[in-house]
Amino acid sequence: MFSGLMDIYRHPADRHKWLTIASGVFITLALVAWYGFGLAAPWAPLMTSAAVLAGYDIALRAWASLRRRQLSIELLVIVAAIGALFIDNHWESAAVTFLFMLGAWLETRTMSRTRGALKALIDAAPVTATVLRDGETVEVPAHEVALGETVLVRAGERLPVDGEVIEGSAAVNEASITGEPIPAEKSPGSRVFAGTLAENGLLHLRATGVGADTTLARIISRVEEAQEAKAPAQRMIESFGRWYTPGVFVMAVVSYIVTRNVELALTLLVVSCPGALVISTPVSVVAGIGRAARAGILIKGGEHLENAGRITALALDKTGTLTEGQPRLAEVVALTGQNKQDVLLWAAIAETGSNHPLGRPIIEAARKQGALPTATSLEEIAGMGLIARHDGHEIAVGSHRLFDHLGIAFDAEAQDGIARLHGLGHTVVIVARDGAVAGLLGLADMARASARPMIDRLHALGVHRVVMLTGDQRPAAEAIARAVGVDEVHAGMMPDDKLAGIRAMRAEGLHVAMVGDGINDAPALAAADISIAMGASGSDIAIETADIALMTDDLGKIAEAMEIARATLANMRQNLVIAVLTVVGLLFGVYGGTIHMAGGMLVHQLSVLIVILNAMRLLRVPKARRARAAAQTAKRAAA
Amino acid sequence: MSNTTIRTKLRSDELSCPSCVPKIEGALLALPGVENAEVKFGSGRIEVEHDPARTDVAALVSAIAKTGYAAKPSAF
Repeated sequence: MFSGLMDIYRHPADRHKWLTIASGVFITLALVAWYGFGLAAPWAPLMTSAAVLAGYDIALRAWASLRRRQLSIELLVIVAAIGALFIDNHWESAAVTFLFMLGAWLETRTMSRTRGALKALIDAAPVTATVLRDGETVEVPAHEVALGETVLVRAGERLPVDGEVIEGSAAVNEASITGEPIPAEKSPGSRVFAGTLAENGLLHLRATGVGADTTLARIISRVEEAQEAKAPAQRMIESFGRWYTPGVFVMAVVSYIVTRNVELALTLLVVSCPGALVISTPVSVVAGIGRAARAGILIKGGEHLENAGRITALALDKTGTLTEGQPRLAEVVALTGQNKQDVLLWAAIAETGSNHPLGRPIIEAARKQGALPTATSLEEIAGMGLIARHDGHEIAVGSHRLFDHLGIAFDAEAQDGIARLHGLGHTVVIVARDGAVAGLLGLADMARASARPMIDRLHALGVHRVVMLTGDQRPAAEAIARAVGVDEVHAGMMPDDKLAGIRAMRAEGLHVAMVGDGINDAPALAAADISIAMGASGSDIAIETADIALMTDDLGKIAEAMEIARATLANMRQNLVIAVLTVVGLLFGVYGGTIHMAGGMLVHQLSVLIVILNAMRLLRVPKARRARAAAQTAKRAAA
Repeated sequence: MSNTTIRTKLRSDELSCPSCVPKIEGALLALPGVENAEVKFGSGRIEVEHDPARTDVAALVSAIAKTGYAAKPSAF
C-alpha cells in the first residue's frame, strides 16, 4: 500500500492526477456540506485542504523555476492562491488551484493526442531483431544489428531494419512509411524499410540501415524538426508572450497600489499567462504536420505549411508525374481488309526479337488476346524497326523510316491514320505484311488514373491554375492535358524555360507550388514558393531538399497535402482569434469586476483546451476523404 | 564538446505549455557533466549532451521528473 503510494508520488503524471482528484473530492465535500446540509464549519478547512493538495504540485514546480531564477506561471498562481487564503477567500483559493491542475491535466492529455500521429510512427519501430549468427537465430536489440547481417522476419512482425530481401517472399504493409494501406509484394532483391509490417511469409533480409540510419528514423526526425521549426506567426506571438506575463505582473502591482483591491491584483496574477495565445499556432502546426506524416506526406515545417496553405497555382511535369512514365498501347488501327487482332499479333511476333521499350507493351497486349507464336527468322534494323518471317509471310514493323528504307509506300488511308495518331500525341508503329501496310499501332505514355481526380480536387480547393511544364512535344503534351484537365500547357521546355515559367507566374501574384523529381527540375523547384517531391521513400535527397516530400507516387497525395495545409492555416487563424479574444476579454472582465479568481482561471484553462481541441480536428482532415475513398472502391469493384 | 559526452534523446508526452521548456532545460543543465540541453515544445523531444560517467540517462529522467514531467529515453 505504502510502496504503491510512493510509486504514485514518484511518477509526476500519476501524482498530478491523484492530487487533482483528491482536491476535487474535498471541494465537493465542502459544497455538499454547505448547500446540502447547511454546515458552515467544514467549509474553510475542507476548501483549504483542497487548495493545499492541488497547490502542492504547483508549488513544487514554482519552486523548481524559482531556483533557476525564473518567473513561472505556477509561481503567480501559487501566490494568488496563498493570497486568497490570507484574505479568507478559501473557495477562490481551492478553485484556482484545482482548476489549474485539472486544466493542465486535460491539456497534457489532449496535447499528447495531438502529437499522437507521430507516436504511432515511433512505436512502429520494433525494439528487438532476430538475426542469423553462425547459423543460429539470436535476439538482439534492433539498433545493435550490424550492417550486412541477416535478419529474420516472420509473419505478423514489424521489420526492425532497412534492408534488401535475400530470401523468401511476403506481403509487406508499408503504411508507416508511405501511408499506402495496400501491402506490397516483396521478393529477393526488393528494398524493405524498418517499421513496415510483414503480413505473411518469412523474409531473410540483409541489413542496410540500422537504428537512426533507417528511413523511418529519418522521417521521424524530419517530422519532429518540422514541428519544432517556428512559423513566422509563432515567433511573433512568443515575443509577445515574453512581455505579456511580466506586464500583467506589473499591472497587478500597480492596480493594487492604486486601488488597494487585493482581489483584483490576485485575479490579474491568475490570468497573467497568455496560455491559449502561446500555444495557438504551435498546436495547429504540430497537429497538421503529424496528420500529414501519417499519410506519408512530409511537410518540412510551419513556414512551409503556411506557404502551402496559400498556394493558388500548381506547376507540374508531365512524364512520370501526370503520366505513368512508360509507353502503353493506346490504339490499334486496322486498314481496310484487315482486323485489329491480326495487326497486333503480327507486330508482337516481330517485336519478340527486340528489347526496345516500345516492344514490351505491344507484346503484353498481344499475349492478352492469345498465344504468341515464334517467328522463323528475325532481323532488327537499328533505329528503324524489325523484319520477321512467320508462317511463310514477311512482317515489317517499325517507324516511318523503316518503310522508306524498304520502299513500301503508304496509301491515303495509312497516311491519314498516321497523321491522326500523331495529332493525338502518340508514337506511331507501322505494321506491314508482304510489302503492304496492314495497320498502325499508337503508343503513348498514358495519363495516370489518379491525375484527373487530383486536379479536380485542387480546383475545388481553390488552386485555380494547374500548369503543365514539359520538355515533351506539344501534341503529346496537349493530349495528356485534355485527359487530366490541366488548365495550361507549356511544351518543349528546357529546365531554364521552366524556371522562367515559374517566375512569370509568381510575377502575376500567384503563389506557386511545383511538383518535380528534384534533379532536372531543380531550378524551377527552387524558384517556386513550395517544392513538392514525389516517391521520396527511396530517395534521401528528395526527403532532404523538398519543402513537401510525398513518400509514394500517389498523385492524390498532392491534393491531400494542399487540403491539410489549407485546413491548418485556417485552424491557426481560428486559434489566434480565440486566444486574442480570451486575453482581451479576461483583462476587460477583471477590470470591469465581472471576473474573479476562480472564473478567471476557468476561462483561461477553457481557452487553452478549446485551442488544443480545435487543433485536434486537423487529425481528421480532410473530412470527406473516407467517403470519397469508399466511393472509389465501390466504383472499382463495379468496373 | 569533449570526447566523453554523448547525445541522449528523450521524449515526453506531457509538455502542455511552452513555459515548461526553460524549467526542464535549467534542471538538466544544473546536473554535473551536462553540457547542453534542449527541450522542443512542438514535438516533446528533449536532447541532452552529457557525460554518462558523471550523469547517466536515469539521472536525466529523474531530474526531469523532479520538475514535474515524465520523460522516456528514445533510440532516435
